[in-house]
Amino acid sequence: MKRILIVSLAMLLSTSMAFVAVQATRAQATLTEEQRERIVVNCVGIKNTLNRLKVSDALLRVNRGQIYESMRGKLMEPFNDRLGNNSLDNRGLVAATKSYNIELSAFRSDYQSYERQLIAAIQIDCTEDPDAFHFAIENARILRQQVNDGVGRLHEYIDDYRNGVSDFRLNYERVSGDSQ
Amino acid sequence: MPDKVPKVTIEDLQPADGEERLGYWARHRFMLLIVASIIISLVMVSISLAAYNLSGTAQLDLSRPGYRSVSDQVETQNRIDGFSSFGSVSLDTIDEFIFLYDEQAEKAKAVDAFNGDPLNPEVLEFTVLDEE
Repeated sequence: MKRILIVSLAMLLSTSMAFVAVQATRAQATLTEEQRERIVVNCVGIKNTLNRLKVSDALLRVNRGQIYESMRGKLMEPFNDRLGNNSLDNRGLVAATKSYNIELSAFRSDYQSYERQLIAAIQIDCTEDPDAFHFAIENARILRQQVNDGVGRLHEYIDDYRNGVSDFRLNYERVSGDSQ
Repeated sequence: MPDKVPKVTIEDLQPADGEERLGYWARHRFMLLIVASIIISLVMVSISLAAYNLSGTAQLDLSRPGYRSVSDQVETQNRIDGFSSFGSVSLDTIDEFIFLYDEQAEKAKAVDAFNGDPLNPEVLEFTVLDEE
């Protein structure tokens, strides 16, 4: 019984290792000789482009981040607190703020991962190892797309919160009898 | 004028007969203090640098080498006045909030940040070749 278990485990291990090896080979195989040559020839130019992108994205991160942070810290949270201080029902808005906050944290960490990957790609010697350079750029590309997706979701949460405020206003108007 | 400062010689610092000699660490305590200070400083600096890198603060620091060229382009004019957490609530205050919120939301959504595909290897590699 023990022997069967050991043999099964060994087979499972070797199968998974073979699978990983095949996947790696397949990934490496996507780079043609022409692409490899192109990377080596244009190595310096590509790195300059990546460096420029790194700097412009860092500036974008700082400027967009400031606006996203101020939406939460200067508008959403104070408004929620104000409603709470006046014993008004702010649960919907608090939930929307929480969702926004979670997405904002994801935006921060996604950008961090992207920047690290981009720097890692820039640090690879593309004349020596064009394959690693190419796949590092591919990974950075995927991570950058994730940051962009996160930005889209943040915009959706900004709209959600705004809709929540409109709903609250309608309810408040109805309940308080205050009208304009 | 008499000399008021007593003269101390190296012999005076040696243990007298019957006195116990200072141990190794006691004799090298000044060196120990310096080494310990350096080690503590290195540990503190390492912790600070780790926190700086792991917390994401590094990503916001445009004074890093290589980023200084854009550090003067950080938007400082877009600061908004926050909404007060205190005070009563009326339709006027809600409308005041909505006005502030819409203004800021418009700025936030004006840019679809990190869009496009500048890292597409095909585009990147071919564009650079075409440029040269």
